Amino acid sequence: MAEVKLENVTKLYGNKVAVREVSFSCREGEFLSIAGPTGAGKSTILKMLAGIEKVSSGKITFNDRVVNDLPPQERNVSMAFETYNLYPHFKVYDNIAFPLRAPRWGLKLSHQEERRRVEEIARFLGIDELLDRLPQHLSGGQKQRVSLARALVRRPEAYLLDEPIAHLDARLKFSTQTLLKEFAANFKSTIIYVTHDYREALALSDRMVVLRKGVIEQEGKPEEIYNRPATDFVGSLIGEPPMNLVDGEIITRNGAAWFKAHEDFSIQIRDDKVESLKKAAQQAGGSTVARLGIRCEHIRLSHQKLSDNSFQLPVYAIVHEAESSVVTFELKNSFLYVRTRGEKGHRDYGLSEKAWLDLDQDHLFFYRSTVDLSKM
Amino acid sequence: MSRVDVSHCWKIYPRGNVVGVKDLTFTCNDKEFLAILGPSGGGKSSTLRMVAGLEEISRGEILFDGEVVNHLGPAERNIALAFESYALYQRLSVFENIAFPLRARGLSKTEVDQKVTSIAELLDLKSVLNKSPASLAGGHQQRVSLARAFIRKPNVTLLDEPISHMDQRVRAELRARIRRLHDDLGLTTIYVTHDQAEAISLCDRIAIINRAELQQIGTVEEIWNQPANRFVAAFVGEPAMNFITGRLESRQSVAIDAGEIKSVLPFTGEIDTKYVGAEVTIGARPQQVKISRTPLEQACVPGSIKIMEFQGEFTVLTIKLKDRDASEVKAVVQSAEKYSSNEPVWLHVNPDRIHLFDKETPILRRKSK
Repeated sequence: MAEVKLENVTKLYGNKVAVREVSFSCREGEFLSIAGPTGAGKSTILKMLAGIEKVSSGKITFNDRVVNDLPPQERNVSMAFETYNLYPHFKVYDNIAFPLRAPRWGLKLSHQEERRRVEEIARFLGIDELLDRLPQHLSGGQKQRVSLARALVRRPEAYLLDEPIAHLDARLKFSTQTLLKEFAANFKSTIIYVTHDYREALALSDRMVVLRKGVIEQEGKPEEIYNRPATDFVGSLIGEPPMNLVDGEIITRNGAAWFKAHEDFSIQIRDDKVESLKKAAQQAGGSTVARLGIRCEHIRLSHQKLSDNSFQLPVYAIVHEAESSVVTFELKNSFLYVRTRGEKGHRDYGLSEKAWLDLDQDHLFFYRSTVDLSKM
Repeated sequence: MSRVDVSHCWKIYPRGNVVGVKDLTFTCNDKEFLAILGPSGGGKSSTLRMVAGLEEISRGEILFDGEVVNHLGPAERNIALAFESYALYQRLSVFENIAFPLRARGLSKTEVDQKVTSIAELLDLKSVLNKSPASLAGGHQQRVSLARAFIRKPNVTLLDEPISHMDQRVRAELRARIRRLHDDLGLTTIYVTHDQAEAISLCDRIAIINRAELQQIGTVEEIWNQPANRFVAAFVGEPAMNFITGRLESRQSVAIDAGEIKSVLPFTGEIDTKYVGAEVTIGARPQQVKISRTPLEQACVPGSIKIMEFQGEFTVLTIKLKDRDASEVKAVVQSAEKYSSNEPVWLHVNPDRIHLFDKETPILRRKSK
């Protein structure tokens, strides 16, 4: 297994920048996810690592060896594509065995040993009953697992996996996700994993890179990305419901700082948060504004006033979760979601009833606005 | 708005004599939000299409407010439909798309204007009324499609997977909007989905259909706490309910064989004496499995942490039990509580959270709270 490193890597298509000066490293044995919306440049990075796409500028190294000019077959990586790329005239068994037979790796396995390895990975991914079939007789989800098995059957320097479970149905996706995590732990593999699904990235990764329009927005452990999003973009991308983002005005009164979203939503900002509020301040239409971010589990809801900083809003709608509810409030250009615990939580508030809200300032963030909230 | 009764309905496709829906009976009450939930190919779309009048009913009756509607076409049933694909008229403006069902009825211009404006207000579409649908994002287009569906005060609203393919941000918003619209307009809504989280989020009651048959109909609480069979128990909930083998020690306790020690879990509820001593399947939801770092008297099962999957507020643990089958069990814990790989833990489940099955059938009866 290798350490994989990118230094100031840029990819241009014509004069369009797909990836701009991206640097990060995936340590030996680390599971690193590249997360981001469609078009962020995730797959382009993976293809450059695999050697399928050329780097326009910058450096890619495997264990400190520059691989920029090495063709794919000399990089010793295994790749699974979102589009499966199975050999249609090969049976599933031969598709999976293919990388074991490549002369480049000189494995020269005996028939029994080859069969043992193919069956092992097929059993692990629950596709051992498909080994004698042709790809055309498989469902999309089955094809995807065959493609994943083909990537995992060999022990290369690094695994490059591009949305390898995106086409599985929900139940199978979660169970395969757990298997991937088990695989990574068992073989201490270096894995670089591309996904647009934040839940996969959080669950699987040791570290994550969040990409936006070809640029790294945040890099860190999943806990950091979830608990302390660096920007409003990261907050809006991760969580269900995603982080609440509220635009408001900054008002200073008698030395105290207030954040005011509208008449009914106005709170005094605790001293230790004022600095981050000021950092996020922007000028707009003659006033100083910022964007507040808080996750739905960090807002308390009550029938009574909870503190001097509580405020009242009318309930817009209530949706349920298995053992909790999400009470929704309508703001000017967005919704505010609040999670309440307990099975009967959703019975507690009527439609349009005014509820008291109290934000937990330990989990309060301020951002410059870089995401258009109204667009959906 | 209407009450909908589906009474002993069958859908038999003549080609190959395939039974799409088998003797289906359920009611969607007036102003109720009912989900039809099930895996694909289970019969839920055939059901929806029969209610909508898009598909002939092979046998049985469908009634709106007590009146049989079998012979009525979709238009005469006055049904609002919204699908996963928005099916908007791309050459018409958003306004004209929403107004379309009214134009067909020959309403006056002022009436049309007034109705479109009022529904556009509810769905926040006023600023885009003059735009073309193609220029809007997916979530926006679905809102236009909903506005068009709701504008003519339908008897019944049928929604077929309207939001499952959207990203989580849009999904959260549309869920809230759809629930609000339902409550505000006093609609009777039937919502078809394969996504159990979607059904739980929006609906008052859920009808679960699999293999052409109704498996259970009930409130979210009933389905969550008293699943009618093992299919329902496993289908609803994420991660899925854990199933482990045990032996009934008495009418109040079940034992898990863990080598030298035997873990005996007490449970509340009624069980037939004939099962005492029998091997059964214990069911426990991952959200209801409690984890302890130290052994607790007897009512716990030893194991060790195998995999941890961080999910934000929660983490899903996969725990390898020290039972005979080396079963794997999932538990959902608060992420603030930190565990490490291979750490020994003890599991317990509250007596009123244990489910027991004899093969597919639940055998523990419990009064609903």
